[in-house]
Amino acid sequence: MSSFGFGLITAAVLAIATVGFTMQFAVTNVLNLAYGSVMINSAFVSYYLNVHGMTAWASLVGGVVTGAVVSWALNRFIFTPFQRRSLAPITVVIVALGVDLVGTFGLQAIVGGNYVSFHQSPGREFHFLGMILSGLQLVILAICVVVLGLVHWVLKYTRLGKAMRATSANPNLARNSGVKVQRVISTTWLISGALCGLAGTVLTMNTGVFEATSAQLYIVLLLAAMFLGGPGEPYGAMFGALTIGLATEISAAYINPQYKEVFAFLALLGMLTFRPYGIFGSEKTN
Amino acid sequence: MNAWAFYLTTIIVYGAVDAMACMALNVEFGFAGISNFGFIIFQSAGAYTAAVLSMPRAATSNGGFQQYVLGWSLPWPLPWIGAALVGGLLALPFVFLVGKRLRGDFAAVGLLVSAVLLNVLVKDYVPFLNGDAGISIVPAPFQSFWDPQALGYQFAYGGVAVVLTIIVYFFFRRLTESPYGRSLRAMRDNDIVADSLGKNLRLQRTTTLVVGGMVAGLSGAILVGFISLWAPGAWGYAETIVLFAAIILGGAGNHKGAVLGAILVPLGFEEVTRFLPPVANPTLVPALEWVAIGLLIILFLWFRPEGILPERRRILSGAPAKGAAPVASAPVPAGQETDALIKLGNLDELNFRQLLRLGDTTNDHRVVLSTQGLTKTFHGVTVVSDVSIEVRQGRLTGLIGPNGAGKSTTLAMLAGTLPSSSGSIFYEGRDITAMPSNERATNGLVRTFQLASEFKKLTVLENLVSAIPDQSGDSFWGAMRGRRHWGREDKENIERAMEVLGGFGLTQYADAYAGGLSGGQRRLVEIMRAMLAEPKVLLLDEPMAGVHPNLAHKIGDQLTRLCEAGMTVLMVEHELSIMDAFCDPVIVLAEGKVLAQGTMAELRANSEVVEAYLVG
Repeated sequence: MSSFGFGLITAAVLAIATVGFTMQFAVTNVLNLAYGSVMINSAFVSYYLNVHGMTAWASLVGGVVTGAVVSWALNRFIFTPFQRRSLAPITVVIVALGVDLVGTFGLQAIVGGNYVSFHQSPGREFHFLGMILSGLQLVILAICVVVLGLVHWVLKYTRLGKAMRATSANPNLARNSGVKVQRVISTTWLISGALCGLAGTVLTMNTGVFEATSAQLYIVLLLAAMFLGGPGEPYGAMFGALTIGLATEISAAYINPQYKEVFAFLALLGMLTFRPYGIFGSEKTN
Repeated sequence: MNAWAFYLTTIIVYGAVDAMACMALNVEFGFAGISNFGFIIFQSAGAYTAAVLSMPRAATSNGGFQQYVLGWSLPWPLPWIGAALVGGLLALPFVFLVGKRLRGDFAAVGLLVSAVLLNVLVKDYVPFLNGDAGISIVPAPFQSFWDPQALGYQFAYGGVAVVLTIIVYFFFRRLTESPYGRSLRAMRDNDIVADSLGKNLRLQRTTTLVVGGMVAGLSGAILVGFISLWAPGAWGYAETIVLFAAIILGGAGNHKGAVLGAILVPLGFEEVTRFLPPVANPTLVPALEWVAIGLLIILFLWFRPEGILPERRRILSGAPAKGAAPVASAPVPAGQETDALIKLGNLDELNFRQLLRLGDTTNDHRVVLSTQGLTKTFHGVTVVSDVSIEVRQGRLTGLIGPNGAGKSTTLAMLAGTLPSSSGSIFYEGRDITAMPSNERATNGLVRTFQLASEFKKLTVLENLVSAIPDQSGDSFWGAMRGRRHWGREDKENIERAMEVLGGFGLTQYADAYAGGLSGGQRRLVEIMRAMLAEPKVLLLDEPMAGVHPNLAHKIGDQLTRLCEAGMTVLMVEHELSIMDAFCDPVIVLAEGKVLAQGTMAELRANSEVVEAYLVG
């Protein structure tokens, strides 16, 4: 049962990250493979604020802002110009891989290769329903639930959410219907970037120690969660993250911790092969 | 002195290995358009295979300090041959990913993830290939009677590597400079259109991955025989990105560019950093190398996406390379061609029967293509509902209807571009509902597209020739038999295409990239290309959209002539004057249903049709 508790934390953090990732894909059709590097850069900004005297929770804001600003700038100054010029989506994906290298190893060149950790005690342990969670983990869980609730509210009940869904379904039609598509895309990248920064920071808080390349393979979990729920579907992403998060931790407990990511890999390859538009999704027109 | 000589041999071997790998990846990415983000696992599979085939049984070797499978102690060249075979076989499981339905970037991500997964598995499961520590003390070929540390041996090894690299270069050239290579590049430029012209995408991609995987496997074998160790650290997924950087830098779609990229990026980075002074922070230099590779990718894709040595434009027309400057400068906006361009060539003199191999069919107006209850649903919305139509041989049938009536969707289902949700399609008496689109095309059911669909980086002439069916050089083995096998036939095909080009008055653009033409010219290229695919039934999706009205009527005349010569045409069109002038019968679709059919005169008399469409 304790692995269920770990799985819940993993899933909650993964859900935040995947929702951001899938929103970027939804409005701009970009598989932003540089997402992991933005996460870890945000985490390091939080870490340095924390080391220089801020409480971990206050420094979290720094990570969120970093994620938002960096993601917005990436889209505005790199992905959008490339998309305007090139027709092949693969070019932008290759560019994203290049950005990932620059982001991850640029950070490593600056901060060095050492492991660091937040100055933050995990808090006392709580036992309930057979799960053991630290105070820190409970706060992380609470933050994730609140943020996912906010995302749901924005998507469902605001004009912005409606505009996002319209842009994702068909940008040209949305533009012709009076949606300011460019502004919607920019806002989406700000919001998704904030989720990216938040996910990166709470992920590193939860794992304890981390270094510049710690998030490099996180993209696999993200992709698995996104494709499970259908690319570009925020609610699908939440479902996918819950499945992948619980499955990895539970399989780690009962099979072999070394292979805990294997389930995610196989889920992703299976989805790409048999249902690339998600368990609930169907092929888009055109 | 001796140290430098040894250093030189190291560079030669590494250079040859990198050049081979880059050429192989370039054939996959630069020619066939497969973004193989997992390329490094093919090289690695070759290295491991060569290692375990040449090593003795694990239990007996070196006191059994490493674990691995096989251990057959095979003599050279068997381990290298085995490496190439395993590299090729490894491609087969990925056929599912690169099949025709999956987006290129999704397939690329699948390959990337596969590379990461295999690395994790090999690293964590020690009995397979000795896990994270990797396999070491791999015997060098002939080491029992020739000391691998001897300078002569090292130069001989480098020489063999270079010779093999040269052989690979000519092998790839033979492949890509053939009609088959043309089909690969057509698939790269637009896979859905290549499919609609009868190209078997899955087979083409599988062949490319197998061939690329074999060369990658061989390159791994050469490397492991030289450095005598191989471990998961050497083949992280990011190594593939280095090779991509090399190809982007050198020039995708150009074999020499791939070799140049191999020398500049993987080899260059490795060697230059060797001469840097030591720094305190051990991660700094490798980190900056990765940053540089990332920046190179981004900057080159922005400032010089074609690379240092761009892809060569293939001049097929036989016209002197100098003199006639065939490249269209600025594309002319659609519908605004000057009068000079509107004047078609000697179209009326073209003998369609002979040129398009229509044979001596006499028009009998039997039903060649029909549907029963054809239906298409997207996300629960029914776009085409219970459509039953008949297309008769030798007729120019029109398909009209307001926006969103389901015309293009119907056409796409007829051609197999979209699967139907329910209902059946019959072609020449056969139920073809489940037949893949490329097979429909090879059986004579060929479509064009509403949106521009030329192969951009193929010349106009190449666009046309690529569509001609049954070319003897348009298969892997056909290409391998060389120009002597397919050259004469290709020349005839080029002449046929030139004749059609002349008919449409576009001879001067024969060797220009199709992507640089004006909108109207591109439509003509598409129509000519579809004609050269030798269709029995031609499905045209708004062929006159964006074409000057005068030109549109001339095309209409020729379509009528085509039908007289024995072809059958089904044409989706918006322009009613075209329908009035050329189409009989005309089918009206509205809201996914067949509203009426008959001659235009009959339809104009039908109040329902007038209300639904003609007035609005």
